Amino acid sequence: MIAVLGFKEQPSKLYQTTSGKISFKSDAPLEVIRASSNDLNGLLDLNKNNFSFKIDIHSFQGFNSPLQKEHFNENYMESDKYPTASFSGKIIEDVDLSVDGTYNVRAKGTLIIHNVPQERIIQSDVTVKKNIITIHSNFTVLLSDHNIPIPQVVNQKLANEIKVEMTATLEPR
Amino acid sequence: MKNNNIMRTKIKLLVLCFFCFLFKGIGQNTNLDSLLDVQMKAKNQNTTQHTEATFKTSRLIDGHTVETTQAGVLDLKVSHRFGQLNDGFYNMFGFDVASMRIGVDYGITNRFTIGGGRSTFEKQYDGFLKYRLLWQSEGKKNVPVSVTLLSSVMLETDTLALKTEKKISVSPSFANKLSYAYQVLIARKFNSNFSLQLAPTLIHENIVDSSFNPNDIFALGFGARLKLTQRSGINIEYYYQIPGTKLPGTYNTFSIGYEIETGGHVFQLHFTNSTGMTERTFIAENKGRWNKGDIHFGFNISRVFTIKKPKDLKM
Repeated sequence: MIAVLGFKEQPSKLYQTTSGKISFKSDAPLEVIRASSNDLNGLLDLNKNNFSFKIDIHSFQGFNSPLQKEHFNENYMESDKYPTASFSGKIIEDVDLSVDGTYNVRAKGTLIIHNVPQERIIQSDVTVKKNIITIHSNFTVLLSDHNIPIPQVVNQKLANEIKVEMTATLEPR
Repeated sequence: MKNNNIMRTKIKLLVLCFFCFLFKGIGQNTNLDSLLDVQMKAKNQNTTQHTEATFKTSRLIDGHTVETTQAGVLDLKVSHRFGQLNDGFYNMFGFDVASMRIGVDYGITNRFTIGGGRSTFEKQYDGFLKYRLLWQSEGKKNVPVSVTLLSSVMLETDTLALKTEKKISVSPSFANKLSYAYQVLIARKFNSNFSLQLAPTLIHENIVDSSFNPNDIFALGFGARLKLTQRSGINIEYYYQIPGTKLPGTYNTFSIGYEIETGGHVFQLHFTNSTGMTERTFIAENKGRWNKGDIHFGFNISRVFTIKKPKDLKM
């Protein structure tokens, strides 16, 4: 009886978003490319402080021309083969995000882009207010880390270091 | 000895505990990940994902593909066919002879394109309207194929050539210089590497050389693209004229080519038995034969210019 009670899960405190925003910027000597998506999906479990975020690569809009968007999907991200990018892991700090406040946390997990996983620790600002959790984070992604080669002809137009900004508002599920 | 055994058992237990803990940790996130997948799947089923890049550009080799030029984009096309390989050494196997077309495509909307061009072959002007009726998609709206309608008009202004070709003695009127082409382009991108196209075609010529010859020529086009690498592929195009509606002395056009893309350019290099690059000339009036060596080497260059930036570019 005690054993059964012991294994019983705590009531889950799941928070979710279906419309988080991710934008990125490639700042190369000859060209600046920006794109963004409001299609970020995410789940955060306050009991274990673990999380999972995922985005459909096809949902990115922007770029400098429609052709550039096509190249992004067809030639670089190979979105038909690898349709999503994800970040899944756990918050390192022992914080209680059910209490209102502002927290600076480190999220440790696996970032999968272009089907290449990378272990990452990403700094994030978390604001909790009236049961709404807002996450804001800036980080960089190296194309070379994710097996996305830059052809010689565009190496002045595409940066290897991509600046990524993420904002998401999570609500109780 | 006994101590050592206890030690080992302890280590084993510790390792076991560690693995249990590890698996539990992974298990938790697996739950979260799969929960997210379910959520995304439901979301995807509620949105429509249009298939992109069935073909690399709006022409396969001579003929149109289902692709329309995106809104606000101008596509400048320079197409060139050398002479025939069987022209011999004197003409450097076709190098000394050239047939060209320069034209533009412009996207009014993502589905509607207008365009036109001028060919050196038979001093032709051409103009067309192209509309993407169906767009292959998945998700909420599941459409297996893309269907694009094409209507083009061609004006042949080489009066001398016209007179001999149509066997008329007087100078042809403006109306008699005109021909029309109507195509229903049906294509499917089977996977990221392979696309196939069918193209039922009707060519109408206002004047033909005798009352026994048809003014309406029906043909069925086949086209395919096989992607080799991220930026290059093989294209094949074949237009089969339906027997009975065919002009005498004309042959079906078969073309095979290699295409490579760099940034905003698409380069297509190919071999074809057609000199002309408009629907009338390569579908209905092609006099070249592969087995006689009437093979032209040629290339198309496509360069896109973004005239109007799309609205969703704002960030």
